[in-house]
Amino acid sequence: MKHSTMPERREGPVDPMPKSPRPEEGGGPRRPETGSPDKDSLMKRMRKVDPKQAERYRQRTGE
Amino acid sequence: MLNRIFGLETEYGLLIHEDHPDHSPTWFAHKIRDHLFHVQRRGVLDLHHRGHDEPPGNGGFLTNAGRIYLDMGHLEYASPECHSLTDIVASDRAGDRLLQQAIEDLGFSDRVSLIKNNIDHETDATFGSHENYLVSRRFPFSRRGMAPLVAFLVTRQIFTGSGRVGSAGPQDAWIQMDRLIIPRVAMGAGAGASLPFQISQRADYIVNDFFEWVQHNRAIVNTRDEPLADPNQYRRIHLLLGDSNMTEFATALKLGTTGLVLQLIEEGHAPHDLEISEPVEALQEISQDQERQWLVQLHSQKTISALDIQEQFLDSAVQHCKGQDEETDWVLTQWEAVLRDLRGDYQKLVGRVDWASKLWLLECYRDAENLDWHAPMLKSLDLEYHNLNQTKGLYYGLLEEGRVPRLTTDTFIQLAMDQAPKNTRAHGRSELVKHLIGSWSGAGFDQAANSERLFPPYVINWSIFQVRDRAPFPMPDPFKTYVEDVRTHLQSVTA
Repeated sequence: MKHSTMPERREGPVDPMPKSPRPEEGGGPRRPETGSPDKDSLMKRMRKVDPKQAERYRQRTGE
Repeated sequence: MLNRIFGLETEYGLLIHEDHPDHSPTWFAHKIRDHLFHVQRRGVLDLHHRGHDEPPGNGGFLTNAGRIYLDMGHLEYASPECHSLTDIVASDRAGDRLLQQAIEDLGFSDRVSLIKNNIDHETDATFGSHENYLVSRRFPFSRRGMAPLVAFLVTRQIFTGSGRVGSAGPQDAWIQMDRLIIPRVAMGAGAGASLPFQISQRADYIVNDFFEWVQHNRAIVNTRDEPLADPNQYRRIHLLLGDSNMTEFATALKLGTTGLVLQLIEEGHAPHDLEISEPVEALQEISQDQERQWLVQLHSQKTISALDIQEQFLDSAVQHCKGQDEETDWVLTQWEAVLRDLRGDYQKLVGRVDWASKLWLLECYRDAENLDWHAPMLKSLDLEYHNLNQTKGLYYGLLEEGRVPRLTTDTFIQLAMDQAPKNTRAHGRSELVKHLIGSWSGAGFDQAANSERLFPPYVINWSIFQVRDRAPFPMPDPFKTYVEDVRTHLQSVTA
């Protein structure tokens, strides 16, 4: 069984918001750099984390 | 993307950094909301009862046409309707920034952190990241018609999951097994509390394949029929099984691949021989599989990996959707790359896939500190991955290291905090909200909010609004901007 797609749009597309930059312009999707990131800097961030914060994070079930 | 409207709803957690806090997370949530609407004037608060849990003043629409409100004590942001992946990613990040900036403006940064995750390790509470996809009313919304969607959703977590330390305890729910309905606890599901790490935050909390509620018996596909649009033309596919994503890449790939699979189903091109035997159990088994083999059993008794299922959907999408627009081709290229990389070392996915990024960070820390997986610190690091404070959050640490590909820019996100996409119904609503902010300025606005609740000067909903003394203004088609009509309508109000 073949199902139709959405009804035709009744307004032509307008440029929504400024386009994100293309990869060659320094933005857009691209693969991450290969090689290890600076682990020292990340370890510094991780060592600053309060070890008890998971206990302090008392959230209610939502939705 | 072609013929698709996307929306995201995100519930945030608030972490208070005090041993004996004077105030609850809900107190902070109220302060943040009030600052956004009363001080920063980012939008207009509802003056009417939207529902039993949404009294006047609980939340409101923003100038970017999204919403911020309190839901069960959580701050929640609903994006405006977006017609492209670029817009939905920027609009989603705009919500993060609006709330984080309010915390910073209020001077709360040292006292409270905004956490974009979906679980509390200690209480087993869960809160959602809900996806919305507009489809045709002719979409085959039946158990059989949606079997391919379920197979896709159960297996997409291998690249959409945000990962977590441990697992949730048994959920208070009932599961249908063939013709029997039994308590989930009897299945032993979710009992792996000592589990080191799993790839999804929400998998433990999904206990049905199809169901209409969102707070209990959460399902893979939520069946509530609430299109927020013309019900003769549209249906809204509402999904609550996904995790909040930190990487822009995972956000875009989650919405993009799901959008394409919905298109395959609409057009009758989805693979139909992939029906999973017990999808709820498969969802949890994949998430919890420490070997990452991700095997599932199909109705046909065949055993197949989640990767193979995803590749079959990818093949169909390449065959039927390739070349239809630029974003579709981006999704197809990145989908293929991610599936290929998932067959190798997970570290290749760091920066693109949240669970892989988090696992890599945790492994680095465990290795450096010689910790086993039961160390409580790992749960705290898990939370910190989702901290939206850019000077503290671990995701932002990876970003700072150049490890994370961007799909948008900070400038674009800044713009999306104030402006709606210009090619959907959100544009018209944005005009309305900006008009109302101008009309009810300063003390006059607050006075109106307090005194005129019986006859509110405006009522705004997703698909209709009414300004006092004027006829209701319906906006049933999310693909239309209505912007000129809204301007004309508001001019007549002003006159």
